[in-house]
Amino acid sequence: MSHVPCNPMETPSGRQGHFEDEVLESIWEMRELDGKVLYDHLKRTLEDAKAMGHKDNAERLGIMETKGLYSVEANQVRLSEAGEKRARDIIRRHRLAERLFADVLDLQNFEADACRLEHALSHESEQAICTLLGHPPRCPHGKEIPKGECCALFTRKVSPLTQRLSDTEAGKRARVMFIQGASVDRLGTMGLLPGSVVRLVQKKPAFVIEIDETTVAIDSEIAEGIYVKLV
Amino acid sequence: MECHTCSPDKKQTEKSREGLERIALIGTPNVGKSVLFGLLTGKYATVSNYPGTTVEVTYGNLNIGDRRFLLVDTPGANSLIPQSEDEQVTRDILLSERPGSVVQVGDSKNLKRTLAITVQLSEMGLPVTLCLNMEDEASDRGISINIKELSNLLGVDVVSTVAPERRGLKELRAAIATGQARVPTIKVSYPERAEEYILEMSDLLPEHPPISRRALAVMLLSGDMTLRDWLTGTLEIDVVEEIEAVRSRCRREMSQPFSSVVQEAWMRTAERIVDQVMTRQRESRGSFMYRLGQATMHPVWGIPILLAVLWALYEFVGVLGADIMVGFVEETIFGEYLNPMFTYVVESFVPTDFLRSMLVGQYGIITMALTYAVGIILPITATFFIAFSVLEDSGYLPRLAIMSNRLFNIMGLSGKAVLPMVLGLGCGTMAVMTTRVLETRRDRIIATFLLALAVPCAAQLGVIMGIIGGLSGKAMAIWVGVITGLLFFTGWLASKIVRGEKSDFLLEIPPLRVPKAGNIIAKTVNRVVWYLKEAVPLFIYGTLALFFLDQINMLVVIERALSPVIVGVLDLPVEATEAFLIGFFRRDYGAAGLYALSEGGLLTPVQTMVSLVTLTLFVPCLAHFFMMIKERGMRASLIMLSIIVPTAIAVGGALNWVLRTFNIQL
Repeated sequence: MSHVPCNPMETPSGRQGHFEDEVLESIWEMRELDGKVLYDHLKRTLEDAKAMGHKDNAERLGIMETKGLYSVEANQVRLSEAGEKRARDIIRRHRLAERLFADVLDLQNFEADACRLEHALSHESEQAICTLLGHPPRCPHGKEIPKGECCALFTRKVSPLTQRLSDTEAGKRARVMFIQGASVDRLGTMGLLPGSVVRLVQKKPAFVIEIDETTVAIDSEIAEGIYVKLV
Repeated sequence: MECHTCSPDKKQTEKSREGLERIALIGTPNVGKSVLFGLLTGKYATVSNYPGTTVEVTYGNLNIGDRRFLLVDTPGANSLIPQSEDEQVTRDILLSERPGSVVQVGDSKNLKRTLAITVQLSEMGLPVTLCLNMEDEASDRGISINIKELSNLLGVDVVSTVAPERRGLKELRAAIATGQARVPTIKVSYPERAEEYILEMSDLLPEHPPISRRALAVMLLSGDMTLRDWLTGTLEIDVVEEIEAVRSRCRREMSQPFSSVVQEAWMRTAERIVDQVMTRQRESRGSFMYRLGQATMHPVWGIPILLAVLWALYEFVGVLGADIMVGFVEETIFGEYLNPMFTYVVESFVPTDFLRSMLVGQYGIITMALTYAVGIILPITATFFIAFSVLEDSGYLPRLAIMSNRLFNIMGLSGKAVLPMVLGLGCGTMAVMTTRVLETRRDRIIATFLLALAVPCAAQLGVIMGIIGGLSGKAMAIWVGVITGLLFFTGWLASKIVRGEKSDFLLEIPPLRVPKAGNIIAKTVNRVVWYLKEAVPLFIYGTLALFFLDQINMLVVIERALSPVIVGVLDLPVEATEAFLIGFFRRDYGAAGLYALSEGGLLTPVQTMVSLVTLTLFVPCLAHFFMMIKERGMRASLIMLSIIVPTAIAVGGALNWVLRTFNIQL
């Protein structure tokens, strides 16, 4: 089967769709940083961004407001339910794409490509990438990746009392619920598996864990990926 | 089994290997596998926590009565689906050596982990003799195992041993000698979907005795990429593509990685068996060794312990080895007895002047090479290796990694790097080889670079300490300060520049143990012999090279060429050039040259300081450099060299300027 060319401008998303995605992303990130989003700030950010053409901005923003993706009250921007869902999706794709480029492909300058890739990923691809990466909780910059269905599927045994090992007090015993991240296999060979009961001996200068008669030392990054329930 | 008649031109090793049944020795790191190897074969494979020192496959003849076997030692492996280079080697040994059976060595107190591997061996279809070692540590913890019941459940011979005391050894040899090892009868069942994929995959694979297709299918589905070469070599391209397709489909469909699914299944299976055979009398957590072990890793108590260990190291290697023993061997034995004796013999019996000076002249093989090799290097190396073996066997080394983890983070490395770095204080050549324990290429490059630049080897250190000791405490402080400062600075810089992933910090911490003297001695002897085999020839070549250069008066020419730098930048006398030149063949050589100069009053304190700092940073010795090329490649090594030389001279020059400008007294 030969390659079937696609024209991004003719797809349902097209220019407007692309614009909307970027705006929603900016809103999400601003909210992450400051807790709230100011309309003026949003407009300025879009003007400064070279990717956006000035002329269309106001018009396109207007379309978004009409569509009901967000509302503006007293200069504050609030996402609607539809807007929130879409923003969440696009942020998730962007950050998963970043993780893909950084971890698997080992690239240094991945921001630009991740930005392009996020618009191109289908729902299926995104789930596949998330699973491939072991449902990573954070992007390479340390920002949280919103969870998807695949993550929920993976963590269905989780009860609300689950916490990260890195947030657990030293000296406590806990049952491992699930493990995220690349070291899951090596931890498994040490006996650190979902279901095993471990004791957190200490957290400094490194995390030291006892599983039966095995003692293991790990750094905080790995500890952040181990989810446990206190026993 | 009889040995085939081999063709006479085959090498001796191959001749002795042919026709013998092979038995592979498998086990996780830290279970005493290598000690058992030594006991079974009479040959000692170096015991270590870190697999990096046994990556070379060791063969030994196992003779029991009139039965003869070839025992193949493998690097420690936590799983037979490889997560590291060593585990890959172990798995590959099983694939390529095609052992008739396996002796699995396990830790009695960690029965579940041990059986998780037995399960994998069972799936592979390999006959197993299970040896549960360290039984004493298990019973200390109130753990007792019903060996007979375990043997029944597994369907294999199980022997309990305490290797250092040779307990159980006879039974183990008897079990092996029968040659009747059986395949374990453990059946693992995975979730339904996983089983379907395994079936689909194994249908595509060729037979590869002694490993079952089911096991190979599990490896491939778990994401093992290392089998690819074998696959593409054995199968048609469209079959390989289909295998890839099945693998991708499986990965997409299952929400949990396949490797986790199988691992959990193995552990569950192992646990079921353990529950039937193991009883635990008490929660033993109060023992002294346990509490001491905890203290060594403690954020507060660990520090004084660390300092105490370092101080003990210094006293033992630096003072006893470098000072007292070197003094005795070099000055007394060589200086007063051997050298004069040899000189007399040579001058009486050797005809030409040329040969005479080659043997006992200024650059004589006996008077220079051997004196240095045996007089200076040997005592220092021996004491260092003794100390290092004690650190290893006691289980302190990984705790050292924990304590130094934060420190190494500054250099962009993890605490695991403590092993090669500390070894570098013994011998840089060996240390470079040990950088293999660092998982990522980036970490290995940074560690190799720092080793070559700023970590002086024991032989060199001994002489340097001797010289600085004669100066003042201030001089010592300056030397230590400059070297460690540069170490951290370049490490930090390198971590910003060198691209790639960092190794993550995941280490197993064995219990603290009292090292057995026999092990220590055996290990040290091994290492010293290895070291001498490497060192003495190079010393001799170095000396000969210098000798010839001197004979054709090239030395003077080279010295004149180098002197602008030595004299101009570093303000040192022309004679020091020779020390730097020699330093390329052996670092310690160079240091010893400076020692001679300073003893002879040819260097002022400032000059001594500057030359020592520069020499410490200067090129790694030839052997070390060759090892760098072997491990990191020619290009990387040359780049490192091209950075190291100017840096060393620049730092020396800067130090020189600072000392003179501020008129610092040493």
